Amino acid sequence: MTQFVRFVGRRDYSTSHTQASNAQATVGTVHPSALVAMQQTGEMVRPQQGRGSQHFLQGGLSAPITVTWEITAACNIACVHCLSSSGKRRPRELTTAQSLALVDELAEMQVFQIHFGGGEPFMYHGIWDVLERCSQRGLVMCISTNGTLITQERARRLTQFQPLYFQVSLDGGTPQTNDRIRGAGVFQRALRGLELLAAENHSLTVNCVLTRYSFSELDQLRDIAASFGSKLRVTRLRPSGRGQEVWDDLHPTREQYRDFTQWLEAHPDVLTADSFFHLNAFGNKLAGLDICGAATATCCICPEGEVYPCAFFQAPEFEAGNLHEHCFKDIWRDSTLFTFYRNMGAGACTGCGQYNTCHGGCPATKWFVHQKLNIRDPECVLV
Amino acid sequence: MAQSPVSYRLVSEVKIRREHFGGILYKYGCADRGAMSFINSPQLIEFLIAGQQQYGGDLGAALAAQSYSAARKQKLCAALDDLAKRGYIQVED
Repeated sequence: MTQFVRFVGRRDYSTSHTQASNAQATVGTVHPSALVAMQQTGEMVRPQQGRGSQHFLQGGLSAPITVTWEITAACNIACVHCLSSSGKRRPRELTTAQSLALVDELAEMQVFQIHFGGGEPFMYHGIWDVLERCSQRGLVMCISTNGTLITQERARRLTQFQPLYFQVSLDGGTPQTNDRIRGAGVFQRALRGLELLAAENHSLTVNCVLTRYSFSELDQLRDIAASFGSKLRVTRLRPSGRGQEVWDDLHPTREQYRDFTQWLEAHPDVLTADSFFHLNAFGNKLAGLDICGAATATCCICPEGEVYPCAFFQAPEFEAGNLHEHCFKDIWRDSTLFTFYRNMGAGACTGCGQYNTCHGGCPATKWFVHQKLNIRDPECVLV
Repeated sequence: MAQSPVSYRLVSEVKIRREHFGGILYKYGCADRGAMSFINSPQLIEFLIAGQQQYGGDLGAALAAQSYSAARKQKLCAALDDLAKRGYIQVED
């Protein structure tokens, strides 16, 4: 029988905060400011039967489709936009034994995929054991890495784990643009990592966060990816972690976003991780989900066991629970925070003719820019 | 009804999970790769799970073992053809 994760106890920050009205929701409490923000969005908009992803995701799935697991905060580089403010290992990071128990629990729940991030996953002491357990349990693995710690020996050793994919980050098609974001010399080191992984026939994508500066180098990035037999994957910049500090400088302009949608249409091979659905409001629906999957199809486990709605929403007010206190299954199914989160309304987007195409955009972006959720996405293209 | 002239085989990488609306088919990777589909038919999900677990993915054999009406078989075959187009099932003439 699987030993679920039950770690050392930790008190909630308060037991007096409002509990969800749903009697099933028993895990954790909701921070007052998060509660107010969620309640201000109004009642959930009921989707029409059979239309769009919202119909299926409403209320949350029995288990996540993908779990983003930031397995360590340790990182050997310091990207200016790091969504989790990574750098040093944190004191209460999960031990290898705890991580292995978590893998078992995710497998029991029939989670399909674990997306390892960080920090840099290869700085986690137990990463090899964790990958081996995932492989044994049939979990699809994706590792988001900066590529700089890949050696020939590691690239070879990784071939024993299947199915395993890599996302190697480059935030520019040139050293100048990339290293401005990711640090001096990182461009060349990441290319070397890509080369070593490609030499072992690993499945790869080159992952790029779209910024005001990387936008003009998308063609170069696509060429770089192709040179390693891989595809380019472009994701949206979020103002979380250190991203808050550089948001105003880095986030793309509305004109760039419009051009980007046209560029995507011309390059259907480019992947987007369903992160640009807010651009559907331009009028052309992009491929993939048209709604945020946070807390319904995915969630994020952070290094010290914190569970958040998604990797971009690592705000203490939105912590749904902690693995040092509760098992993951209980947090996913019964957390008070998730119960409220899954029932949020359209807020300021109520009545908008494009709501069914973008579903109001990214809640995390709203929160980190304005500490509110009942507003339009700060990058709403209709504003 | 005559035996179906085509055979359906579930692709080995496909994972199936029950959900309140029916279930999810997931093939080898997240949104970036492979495929994932929400299936709003609990009956179809149960048929696929049975085919995977009891018939080693041979959906033709699973279908032959059921005493479905001709109309229901036809409807099921149409659904399987659709899943084949999406890459979850291999069809052999």
